[in-house]
Amino acid sequence: MKRRGLLLALLLGLLPGSLKAAPSLEYAVKAAYLPKFIPFITWPDGAFAGADAPFTICLLGQDRFGGKLDQAAAGLHAGDHAVQVRHLAGPDPAANCQLIFLPAGSDPALVRGTLDAMRGRPVVTVTDSGLSVHGMISFVIESNHVRFDIDDAMAGEAGLAISSKLLGLAHAVKMRGQP
Amino acid sequence: MDGSKRNWSPMVVGALTAAAVLLAAGVLMAVYQEQLYSAQQAKSVREQAQILAASVTAAVVFADQKAAQEYVDATRVNPELQAAAVYGGDGHMIAGFTRDTRLPAIVKEVSASTGAGYIDIAVPVSQDGAQVGIVLMRGLTEEALRQSHKMEAVGQLSGGIAHDFNNLIMIVKGNLRLLRRKLGAQTEGTPVGTYIESADEALDRAAHLTQRILAFSRRQPLTPQRVNLSTLAQGLTELVRHSVGEKVEMIMRLNGTWSTLCDVNQMENVILNLAINARDAMPEGGRLVLETRDVTLDAPPAELEGENFTPGDYAALAVTDTGVGMPDEVRRRAVDPFFTTKPQGKGTGLGLSMTFGFVRQSGGYLVIESKVGRGTTITILMPRDREGP
Repeated sequence: MKRRGLLLALLLGLLPGSLKAAPSLEYAVKAAYLPKFIPFITWPDGAFAGADAPFTICLLGQDRFGGKLDQAAAGLHAGDHAVQVRHLAGPDPAANCQLIFLPAGSDPALVRGTLDAMRGRPVVTVTDSGLSVHGMISFVIESNHVRFDIDDAMAGEAGLAISSKLLGLAHAVKMRGQP
Repeated sequence: MDGSKRNWSPMVVGALTAAAVLLAAGVLMAVYQEQLYSAQQAKSVREQAQILAASVTAAVVFADQKAAQEYVDATRVNPELQAAAVYGGDGHMIAGFTRDTRLPAIVKEVSASTGAGYIDIAVPVSQDGAQVGIVLMRGLTEEALRQSHKMEAVGQLSGGIAHDFNNLIMIVKGNLRLLRRKLGAQTEGTPVGTYIESADEALDRAAHLTQRILAFSRRQPLTPQRVNLSTLAQGLTELVRHSVGEKVEMIMRLNGTWSTLCDVNQMENVILNLAINARDAMPEGGRLVLETRDVTLDAPPAELEGENFTPGDYAALAVTDTGVGMPDEVRRRAVDPFFTTKPQGKGTGLGLSMTFGFVRQSGGYLVIESKVGRGTTITILMPRDREGP
């Protein structure tokens, strides 16, 4: 029984381009995207503890990337700040995140609570596809491709500037000044 | 005497020197102008490449082909650009467009180079000082640009002249008719009658030629109607057989059933034109195949690669000869107006270009396949008329 299940999983994994059949591919793409957002976003001066403080990507709850995010971020720099990934079991005000990722399957109350706590603070909130509440950037799956929506109004409230180049690539954008 | 000689020489020398200096200055000026233009053209292509490189960064970083293609397509509006493409960090093309040219599939290096009639500029797509991709743009050089402007002007000019010329022909024809009426029965059986007859026939031919030039420069409206190419070709069998002569074996394979919308007279001209071209390619005789068939194309034929092709159903008509064929450089120029390889006085160089113009105007495509020594196949693809069978 177990063997057959494994075989099935292998076969499904081989289906080309199908993200549903191969969740690892979907999260490999998302892991690659997360650090790529950084150069297109400008954080206000007070967002870092110091000039040489690290740039921290926080991963809240379950790690669906299986280490791929750590690989993608390894050796990267955001300006003068070395990029690091922190795995957080729950909200941690001392973590000093610049970007926080909330994976699918997280407790909705936790996601909502985190987003509320981060509101107005210079932290880019990224929510996974399948969540009912959305951060500044929210992943969406469209015809088997990973894309993302951007809430530029929310980013604006937090004093963050998102480059028009990134906005131009988004699946949907909520502009500043919109209700 | 000696004194005057001594006075003359410096003047002559001076004048000659001045002339030489002026001439040299003129040549230098011309060279400088030419270089200045090339430099300007290169600068303009580089600027556009840089603008594209700056705007396409996010699309390259996220390998978003659709977004990259949208940015590239926006540069299409510039007719002086032959091609533009965006390459990712690994050097593979993400998006691009071309006009009658081919771009390399992989580009990794920033460069500037000049080819036959074009100039290539490759600039980096950068993010925070790091190169994440390449934008390659191909612009026409001054010479090629001049040629295309010249062709445009020639087209407009010949259209205008043909229009006036047509009116003049009508006046001469009218006067000939009046002359014949005035002379009445007197001319019958006399040389005068023959003269008038010949003049009238020549005028008909002239009128026909101006019609063709008008159609070419698109000043003559076309009246499209539903046409079945097989039926049309069937009706032309005798005429085609007569035009190609006895040395050429003629085979008809009319399997096409779909209809298309086009001007019947023009389409008849096209078929005759293609048949006559085929005949001229086989001076020693050979085989001519006139073929129609229904084709469904999901992608453009290789010869149309890079053109703006609409996939779909097409009524195809192909004329194949077993003649001399065309080398590639001739094939590429075959539809250029006034381009002909026929001896002087034998061809106007307008036949294929008019065919091309008409086919494009009717929403179709012209495909030329040729091998030197083996023969040529010219296929016209006309969009299927959905209303018809």
